[in-house]
Amino acid sequence: MSNIAGKAYAMNVITPIRWTTAWLNKLIFWIALKRPSTLRGLITLSLIHYARWVIIGKNQFPHLDSSQPKEKLHYSYMLFFSNFNGSWDQYVDSFTFAIPGGLDLFWKWNIRYPKSVALTPFHHYIRYNQIETIHYYNAYPLATSNDVKSAKAVKDALIQFQCQSADDESDDNFLQRYNALLRGLQHDLGAMHPTPIVSMSAYQVERRKRWHDGSLQKEIAAQQAAQGGQNHDR
Amino acid sequence: MTGNISGNAYALTILSPIKDGYTPDEIAYADLIRDRLQGWNMEHNSPMAKVPQTYLCRFFVLDDVYTESLPGAGFLDTLSDLLPVVPDRTRRNALPKEDHLQSRYLVFSCNFHGGAGGDLEGYLRGMWGAIGDRIREIWGYCYGFEQVTDADTFITYMKKCQLPAALFFNGSNDEPLEEQLKALYLKQELAKFAAENQGLDAATLRRNFQAFMQRVAPTNLAEPTWPAGKYRI
Amino acid sequence: MTQKLDLLDIQGNIIRAYGRFGYPMARYVFFNIRHSARAREFVGTVTDRVTTAVEWGEGPGQIKQPDWTVNIAFAYQGLKQLELPRASLSGFSPEFISGMKDRRDILGDDGPSSPENWDPIWAENRKNRDKDVHIFIALNARLPALLEEGYAWLTGVAKQYRDAVAILNGHRGEHGALYDYQDVKAVMENGQPTAKEHFGYTDGIGDPVFEGAPNYDLNVRGRGKQLEDGSWAPLATGEFLLGHIDEAREYPPAPEPILLSRNGTYMVYRKLHENVATFDAYLDEQGRKYPGGKELLAAKFVGRWRDNGAPLVKAPDAESKQKFDAEFAAADQAGKDKLLSDFTFDDDMSGAKCPFSSHIRRINPRASLQMVKGSKPGSMIFNKDAFDTPGALSNRRRILRRGLPYGEVKDRSRDDGNHGIVIMMLNTDINRQFEFVQQEWINYGNDFQEGSDKEILLGNHNADNKFPSKAVLQVDPNSDQAPYMLSKIPRFIETRGGEYFFVPSLTALRMIAQGVVDPT
Repeated sequence: MSNIAGKAYAMNVITPIRWTTAWLNKLIFWIALKRPSTLRGLITLSLIHYARWVIIGKNQFPHLDSSQPKEKLHYSYMLFFSNFNGSWDQYVDSFTFAIPGGLDLFWKWNIRYPKSVALTPFHHYIRYNQIETIHYYNAYPLATSNDVKSAKAVKDALIQFQCQSADDESDDNFLQRYNALLRGLQHDLGAMHPTPIVSMSAYQVERRKRWHDGSLQKEIAAQQAAQGGQNHDR
Repeated sequence: MTGNISGNAYALTILSPIKDGYTPDEIAYADLIRDRLQGWNMEHNSPMAKVPQTYLCRFFVLDDVYTESLPGAGFLDTLSDLLPVVPDRTRRNALPKEDHLQSRYLVFSCNFHGGAGGDLEGYLRGMWGAIGDRIREIWGYCYGFEQVTDADTFITYMKKCQLPAALFFNGSNDEPLEEQLKALYLKQELAKFAAENQGLDAATLRRNFQAFMQRVAPTNLAEPTWPAGKYRI
Repeated sequence: MTQKLDLLDIQGNIIRAYGRFGYPMARYVFFNIRHSARAREFVGTVTDRVTTAVEWGEGPGQIKQPDWTVNIAFAYQGLKQLELPRASLSGFSPEFISGMKDRRDILGDDGPSSPENWDPIWAENRKNRDKDVHIFIALNARLPALLEEGYAWLTGVAKQYRDAVAILNGHRGEHGALYDYQDVKAVMENGQPTAKEHFGYTDGIGDPVFEGAPNYDLNVRGRGKQLEDGSWAPLATGEFLLGHIDEAREYPPAPEPILLSRNGTYMVYRKLHENVATFDAYLDEQGRKYPGGKELLAAKFVGRWRDNGAPLVKAPDAESKQKFDAEFAAADQAGKDKLLSDFTFDDDMSGAKCPFSSHIRRINPRASLQMVKGSKPGSMIFNKDAFDTPGALSNRRRILRRGLPYGEVKDRSRDDGNHGIVIMMLNTDINRQFEFVQQEWINYGNDFQEGSDKEILLGNHNADNKFPSKAVLQVDPNSDQAPYMLSKIPRFIETRGGEYFFVPSLTALRMIAQGVVDPT
């Protein structure tokens, strides 16, 4: 299993919800969608690439074939998927510290939801209902959501800078524009290095990385051997 | 299903029921799928790195749902407490019920660039084209998958397994993946350049910067850039 | 809401930074237990002399200030050797049970900071039962002679129980000599103790203030938690003392029975070597290039000026610093504390004064993480009301810091002398408080939207070409300057050892000594 891919953590939580109140949750989500201020805390936290809530009605589990037995459920289920940066603790804690009201709003109709304050019962609730990811792919393991966003700012600024360049520009004018470029990007230039280990399960990720490093080095060595040492300058 | 679209990002949620059977080695299909997915973790990179426009995605097997037993403070959980005296029958009825799934499900949850219109078909076609054999390796033991023979039947199948998102939160930017990867490359390179060239006189700095821009080619998405799934520097 | 703490039940080092109460020197002694029952008696004998948090006075019926203090704490292995019941032991937090060495990847103790490079007492700890660090005893004293008096008492007691406990050797001192104890003392200037550490920074400012701590209402501004309306309140007691309500309105997870944990806390002990030559050379080299000059650059590393600790948000340049200095010189002790601690980052959201990677912003960002990008390029703005409370992301990451420098810098052109700082940090949840700050805020920067950039002074920097450490010193978005890039930051601080300890209450100490702790 691997809940972690580089700087992202994949969280899956499945919780029962009464089919009689599932519509209420859908309504709350609809309102959240229409009123962006509901999600302001989430945006300010800036720890999430993407997250989603899916409500599966008790009779809505996909049924593909007549040989597949029909589900017989008492409850509907809410699935929560998140791609966040940082450790499990950091994520869950930051949410309960910063936006406890928002969490309660989204989960309060779920069976036996304990509320987000106090912290320990909330931790237990999430852990209890969490499902581990087996395979997690991330197109940019070295980047956080902040990095992806700031990278866009860098790219846009560089392209704009290039557009404004003129051959007859004086060196001093260039320097002024260059300084302005960096000043405008002063919160966008953080380095992207491998992630600090965030949990013991990250050892799996580390081990995999070392394995890759090792096997890659072997491949290169094998290649070089095959070329009879012709490419010493590689 | 607009709930699946936020900006240019698409939230695809797939639950594929797994056949209740086992291999000649006496391994249940669901466990076999899990083992194969574990195997993906040991490859140089995920097969999904080859699928165009994939931002982040995950796979797991849903064995069953959970029965709640922890104490809770949900509104209806405690409603019966409003009665002056709670008869035993009412009390027992208020306890959470026990649910069990009849099938185990392969869950595939994916975020990709689908454009404003949410081009799911285009994405799935790209997925089939890039890793059709690997898809078969994972989905091959699911109900109904035997009807999948090509990209079109794969799209039809996946749509049957799809569930709509009630709320999709897009906390990133949702440009095409190759734009994002190029941007990440540029960010890393500009930070390096700025540190290395700090304090130079204007003429030298200008020369160096011109060379830098030529090298990093900000508008050329093809190269130089980061490959999808790059995890090493 | 206001609660009164039972100061007679709480060990004095939790409430007081002794260095600031007229005890400029201390000696830390560590023991290995050889006989459980007799070791409990040893604990009992020491407990009789343990210094509590009670308020001292010279009046009748008041407790007189001692010449030297005694405090005691236990590593997990020690509590096991003292035969605490298994059910109590398993209630301690996982990271305390694992110990600091096991958490090295979380803490970033790599390269020169990795455990194989620690002082022998710490390198050998948890390897071989006879070398395990079990008991920590701290002696703080007013004068050198009084410290020796305290040490003579302690070695006397240890001798009396030599069948039960052994003092562990292996603290590196001058020229690599190994000692039975770790000495620490304030850096002296003209025969007077100062609050400086070896890089020249003023240390020990702005410790958190919590509910029930004596006199908290006098200096809560800047040291408690920042509220919506600009006022300040003390932090919840349970952030620093077990058995009390914390910021999440619950009792922090703690071992049972409650009498074992109540009024106790966890202590993080870390010996940090300071590479003074590397620091001086880097500061000189960068100081020559930095537009504001060397001293301002030194201040940018920490967020405070070196000489008197003036915060950069109040004194961002030489001119404002002069004004600050005049006010500071005229102020009384309470006024000085206010000048040093009473500030926010609300007017410095972009980091033009106090950089995002500076020490004080990273270890206590106050309300500044409630930030979003502004419309002006290069600006950050305070996103009012986005969070439940302005300090939502900081209030549960606070730590009480107790530290003193060790050794002496005899040759500033060399890194390898015996000089550094021993820091002890107190909190009720090592994972949520100390480890989080160390991992996410010191050795990583994403919460500050700085990617992998680390805190400048304490970060586990790499100057290599593969992952060179850097930091951005932000400028005013409305100015015409460029941000200054600190590149190839070398490692200024190296870990030389440490462990996680439990500091019990006096009640718990007496119960441990009697062997009557019973969670059934």
